[in-house]
Amino acid sequence: MDLTASGVRTTSVAKQARTGLLPANVVLGGSLLSLVGLTWDIQWHSDVGPDTFFTLPHLFLYAGSAVVGLASLAVVLLTTAARRAGRPVDPRIGGRVVNVFGRTFAAPLGYLVSGVGAATFLLYGLWDQWWHGLYGFDAVIDSPPHIGLLLSITVSLIGTTAVFAAAREYRWGRLGTLASLTVLLTFGPVLALGLQQVPDDYADAVSIGCSMMAVLLVTVGAGFRRRPGGAAGTAALVLVVQGIFWWFSPWAAKAYADLVDLPLRDAISGVPEMPSLTPLALLPVAALMELGYLAGRRRGWRAGRVSVVAGGIAGALLGLSLPIQRVLLYTGAHLPPAWYLTTTAVLSGLFGLLGGFAGWRFGGMLCLLAPAKKGETADA
Amino acid sequence: MRKTLLALAAVAGLLFATAAPANAYEPVNIVHTEHVQAGPYGMTVGFSTWPLKAMQSLDFTFIPDGGIDDKSGTLTMINPEGGKNRTQPLVRHPRKREVWGLDVRSMPRPGEWTFHFTVNGPAGSGTGDLRALPVLDQPGPPMGLSWAISTLPLIGLVVLVVVAWRRTRSRLRGGELPAIG
Repeated sequence: MDLTASGVRTTSVAKQARTGLLPANVVLGGSLLSLVGLTWDIQWHSDVGPDTFFTLPHLFLYAGSAVVGLASLAVVLLTTAARRAGRPVDPRIGGRVVNVFGRTFAAPLGYLVSGVGAATFLLYGLWDQWWHGLYGFDAVIDSPPHIGLLLSITVSLIGTTAVFAAAREYRWGRLGTLASLTVLLTFGPVLALGLQQVPDDYADAVSIGCSMMAVLLVTVGAGFRRRPGGAAGTAALVLVVQGIFWWFSPWAAKAYADLVDLPLRDAISGVPEMPSLTPLALLPVAALMELGYLAGRRRGWRAGRVSVVAGGIAGALLGLSLPIQRVLLYTGAHLPPAWYLTTTAVLSGLFGLLGGFAGWRFGGMLCLLAPAKKGETADA
Repeated sequence: MRKTLLALAAVAGLLFATAAPANAYEPVNIVHTEHVQAGPYGMTVGFSTWPLKAMQSLDFTFIPDGGIDDKSGTLTMINPEGGKNRTQPLVRHPRKREVWGLDVRSMPRPGEWTFHFTVNGPAGSGTGDLRALPVLDQPGPPMGLSWAISTLPLIGLVVLVVVAWRRTRSRLRGGELPAIG
């Protein structure tokens, strides 16, 4: 048996790696459940229609948040117990510890955020239920309670990203961060549908919102990884999820309709609703951003500044691509006039500059969640 | 462990059992009708709720005289300001398959709406309008308040980002962070 000091430390680090892995993956699994529920629910409303609170897609949505909430709560309680017992808390498990209600609870930052998102999701679920009691089950995605629900999931997902980022030293931490960004990016366009409330007489607000969100999150991937592949890697993972949902969403809606003996609507587009909101041009645009980072690196330019320019170009390209994507996918959809496409692309480019700037910085902030030195404890 | 799994299975079973009656969807119950003449075709427009209120969902039925079997048609909704929605084909109501219809659909805002119909059938093609369809103000709290309640997580998120941004500024300024892995 190896009882040398180095041997003991290796065992301890390996154990910590495993300790963090389980709750992090449970939280990510909960997020994925919600994502599956959402794409299924949206497709159901488009292809079949009738709704009650107790549909299977709703069950997925709510179960997903419940899993995220319970796992986050468990980690917060275990962390609180560890601190009370005087045991050191590893910052690789969810990040630095934050005091909640004075020093009553000790919560790793990532799990605190994911847990708060899950809790507000359930509160907005009640608000949504009341709303449906008043207005009936008209499935509009951009009703205030729905946007509240989607924002809560977003908060949860940001917490999940932070949880994995805190374990940046481990491969699962790095992969999980990109996976969490992927889930966020797949959610993003649905959230951007809330911008349908913004007047769109001069530019397409939803396309601008979608492209800004895509640029921001792909840049977070680049800023977190800080070596080639962060942006393209995130975009490639998004493409995989988009591909799976492209098949899954219509299939699941049809299968569930058969199960409850309801017919499909007579006039359905046949286009998967949620997957078709995600920019199909994301991977090539992210690859172009990677070229920008590479060129900047060779010339010794500051990556944060390269990111602003790359974000602007990427934003303009994505903003231009989204209205064209809709025309290509939906028969009967018309291409807006050139001036409208231009204003949409220019505004997407401007917001893309902001996305490129903030995304790189957020990536850096995620890196700082991981301990700077080995053996560091988690109390802030 | 086995007890926990059994308990979980029981909860899941209960959920599905209670979900089953919920899946028996409500029949379409028409409480008010209007008549429209679209060229040679008379058409009865039915509403499952009356009067209409903005954002409150209902079932619409469109029944041409003599039934839908040998006919096709389109519907265009025109809002109180005169803006037109995308023209849509008249299709069977999902829960009342013998007539055309819209299921659980709301009118987004109050005012006098117009439904413009085209109907094609054995007697040729005809058009007609259901004009000045009154839609009353939305029930419930004002939209500003509802949006304020629903965007609270966004405000929380902005606060979190601002705090994190300020706290990490000095550590991120200047020096590039190392890449790991």
